[in-house]
Amino acid sequence: MRLLLRPAQYAALALYILFLGFPLLWLISASVKSSGELNSLSASLLPHEWHWENYAEAFTKQGLLHSAWNSLVVALASTALSVLIAVPAAYVLARLRGKVRVAGVGWILVSQVFPVVLIILPLFLILRTLGLADNLVGLTLVHTTYMLPFALWMLQGYVAAIPVELEEAGAMDGASRLTVLRTIVFPLLAPGVVATAMFSFVSSWNEFFFALVLLQSPENYTLPITLNMFVGGEGKVALGPLAAGAVLAAIPSIVFFSILRRKLTSGLMAGAVKG
Amino acid sequence: MKTRRAVVAACLLVTSLLLAACGGGSGDSGGPVTLTFQSLSDQPAAIAQTQKIVGDWNKAHPDVQVKIVPAGWDGVYDKLVTQFNAGSAPDIVHYEAAGIAPFASDGYLADLTPYLSGQKRADIPKGVLDSVTVDGKVVAVPTELQSYVVFANKTQLQQAGVAIPTGATMTWDQLRQIAKATTKDGKYGLGWGLSSPTAAFVALAPAFGGKYFQGTGDNASLSVGQGEMALPQLVNSMAYQDKSILPVTLTQSGTKALAPFYAGQTAMTVQGSYQAVNIEKDAPKGFDWIVLPPLAGPSGPEQAANPQTLSVNKDSAHVKEAAQFVDFFTDTENLAAMNEADALIPPTTSARQALTAKLGSKNGWGTILASGQYLTSAPYLFAGKYAQWKDTVATPAYQRFLAQQVDANGLKSQLEDGWKSVSK
Repeated sequence: MRLLLRPAQYAALALYILFLGFPLLWLISASVKSSGELNSLSASLLPHEWHWENYAEAFTKQGLLHSAWNSLVVALASTALSVLIAVPAAYVLARLRGKVRVAGVGWILVSQVFPVVLIILPLFLILRTLGLADNLVGLTLVHTTYMLPFALWMLQGYVAAIPVELEEAGAMDGASRLTVLRTIVFPLLAPGVVATAMFSFVSSWNEFFFALVLLQSPENYTLPITLNMFVGGEGKVALGPLAAGAVLAAIPSIVFFSILRRKLTSGLMAGAVKG
Repeated sequence: MKTRRAVVAACLLVTSLLLAACGGGSGDSGGPVTLTFQSLSDQPAAIAQTQKIVGDWNKAHPDVQVKIVPAGWDGVYDKLVTQFNAGSAPDIVHYEAAGIAPFASDGYLADLTPYLSGQKRADIPKGVLDSVTVDGKVVAVPTELQSYVVFANKTQLQQAGVAIPTGATMTWDQLRQIAKATTKDGKYGLGWGLSSPTAAFVALAPAFGGKYFQGTGDNASLSVGQGEMALPQLVNSMAYQDKSILPVTLTQSGTKALAPFYAGQTAMTVQGSYQAVNIEKDAPKGFDWIVLPPLAGPSGPEQAANPQTLSVNKDSAHVKEAAQFVDFFTDTENLAAMNEADALIPPTTSARQALTAKLGSKNGWGTILASGQYLTSAPYLFAGKYAQWKDTVATPAYQRFLAQQVDANGLKSQLEDGWKSVSK
């Protein structure tokens, strides 16, 4: 029975991976199909003929690479800013007791309540006054502001999970506050920081509405805005080029995740050893 | 140590990104006037044509330069709302008549009447001009139109022994008869992508005397009578009595309903006229297709027009120059080229004639262009809460009706009660 259990586990895992990966496979397949094949009833996973024009169109007609660069700049900058602000704030929020903490947590929750359409107009006016509308800096600040409450909420949970006794033990051994933070708290917090960075990056990378409204000049467009150009009026969709663009858009997220995934694991290990 | 280096590196990264981004953007001080033109052209040929027209203008007007700002159709309403409210809308706005009417009512669009020559005005059919006239002011110039037409598989019609209509128009009864005659051997006479049925029903209602709305803005009222109910009931009868409509298409988009048409599963399909280009491109080799004459109901072949338009931001510092550009963009030659590129119908008679002369009847163009003369004003364009009613009331109500979850009386009351509710 036990001999059968392991192959069954692998089979289940393989099926699960196939289930998760199927949309991506379908997307890749659609990106190399001709328009005629995409609009045919005889759907097949593998294309009858491989058409690379969709990629050529995605690259040349809509300036996809430039938009991808803009998205990368905004996503990396807002991720870095979010994490930099959220780490100390989350530590304070998790360790603090009393009314200030309650108010802080309340603010985080309340800030998630407002729909974006409600805040976009005042936000636009503020950014325009600051000369930051239609500007990647403005969009970075907006993304950071938008992501910060959730990043804080995530990180303060990670901080709260670190036993305060570890910090007390460090202090008892004569370590300064900064040394305790650097050698005990930060290594244990690393997986949380990595998870928060992942969340922030993906949120910013995929964000559409703020970018749609705030950015006016084509040279500032981010990837979701450019991909949106493939959807026309009257329900017209350039399906092939859109699929090609979507495949390209998925690559940076996959690369970012594969890099940070290792950090996520090593962070956990570091925490375990120190603990 | 590592942590400190990481923090320093992160700070440097953020600072450099902020500085780099701060260097972007452009402002114009002195020199020629620069007008921003937010264009929604989405097809490669139409984008190229837009660039050509703007290039021609810029070459001929060194002191008034136009800069294209491309935008997508999806979400553009929200973008324009913010832009107009924040006073940062582009000088020239490309949108559809149904979308600009509220902006015009709110006073965001310039009155183009003084800039529209008598000749241009006479060149635009009255019904189409009415669709861009708000409170007696022409607030936009129409650029492109579409009508609903019937594409047919000629071979299937011939095999079914159907006499293919050839007159100036064909009746809805004829369509029903042909659909019945071609429904056999597991194949259906008609495929109609009605996942969002309101636009089609409202646009085609004039043929049955249906108007839906009276009045404008917040004072608009809705009444659903025989004229408004005729088409939904006809579709319902074809789907459930005749069983001549492929059922799955009733829940699909227009584009999705093309696949069974290509596969010979449906003999005909009702589509926006622009699909002629896609059919030409995507249909299997040897697929013999035609466009049937424009559909006519008891009240005639009229369809409500919702043209694409160009309008001018009232707060623009250069309204006159922007209006002159719009006039240039909509001259006969440019409109003909633009509509050929987008596979749409020019709104001016002269451009339609020019395109007919150039393209003849190739790929159904003759019939499609002829259908343009039946486009008329659309009362729904001026009903203040139409968009909200359409999305939250009418579309789900029609879907329930087409799925036979409510009967005709139920549909009528849902549409009317829903309007009362959204227009409170």
